[in-house]
Amino acid sequence: MIEVKKRNIWFKRILLTGLVLLIAGGIAIWYIFTEKFTDTSTEPAVYTVNAMDFIKEFQDNENLSNKKYTEKIITVNGRITETEAADTTINIKMRDTITDAYIIFAFQQQHLKEAKQFKEGDSVSIKGSCSGGTYSKILEAASITFKRCTVNK
Amino acid sequence: MKKSILLFALVGLTTIAFAQKKKTTTSATINFDATTSIDNLPKADNKTVIASIDTKTGNVAFESVIKSFTFSNPKIQEHFNGEKWMDSNKYPTATFSGKITNVAAVNFKKDGTYNAEVAGDLTIHGVTKPVTTTATVVVAGKSVTTTTNFSVKLADYGVNGGAIAAGKVATEPKITVMAAFN
Repeated sequence: MIEVKKRNIWFKRILLTGLVLLIAGGIAIWYIFTEKFTDTSTEPAVYTVNAMDFIKEFQDNENLSNKKYTEKIITVNGRITETEAADTTINIKMRDTITDAYIIFAFQQQHLKEAKQFKEGDSVSIKGSCSGGTYSKILEAASITFKRCTVNK
Repeated sequence: MKKSILLFALVGLTTIAFAQKKKTTTSATINFDATTSIDNLPKADNKTVIASIDTKTGNVAFESVIKSFTFSNPKIQEHFNGEKWMDSNKYPTATFSGKITNVAAVNFKKDGTYNAEVAGDLTIHGVTKPVTTTATVVVAGKSVTTTTNFSVKLADYGVNGGAIAAGKVATEPKITVMAAFN
């Protein structure tokens, strides 16, 4: 009789523990898959760079630079050489006019309005997530792309 | 004599330069939609796609950096670029190289909307496959805008994540490509 009672208590404890773990696991999974990227303006930059030095660093060693900078939040300071408007969006470019290598910044939706106020020749500070650098066969030039950008104030 | 040769060479080079009608943009966009009835997270935009179009030959090309696809959810972004999916560290770009096969039907000098047939090679995840699709070409002055919609069978390109089998990612995501050449 006592043994049966003891077994029942342990069984209930195991069941309760299992239930708690299941609920906790479910909450964790729900959190992970409903999480959204934060506004980049609230994210601290891992690096702050000058645009032309940044381009040169990639040209000197693309592999090493990709390992260092890809998926990092970086602030880039430089002069705008082109703005490209497409549909409802706008991208800003900083290009090395000698090699044609360039950095291009695509903005988060909430920061498009700020980006649209800039024009060619403006000096600007932009913060975003670096997607890395590649060589374009179409353009015959190197490009470094950024996503989720914001104008750094 | 030497001056004549030089002059002819100069005229020839200039003629070739003006004859080339290649337009490029670094802000073409690709929308990738692999959502299903049980998961609406796997969709992303890439707004920094490089594209070119030759209005004389009809040649078109696209280069898309995989890491530039922006998802709303960080975990999905991580999975998408991971080794079991696009493996973007190993295959950093997806590319298309082809041409408008009915280029004679598209008058790039006259404003209007034209239906184009496009054929070429699509390379994703290191695998190249021939594809054909249709595109809409809108000519407005010197501006040319192209839009195309098609689906890609992920398995054809060696992309077979567990989430596909679980029905959380579409087996044939919808792709929309838009490029504005000015």
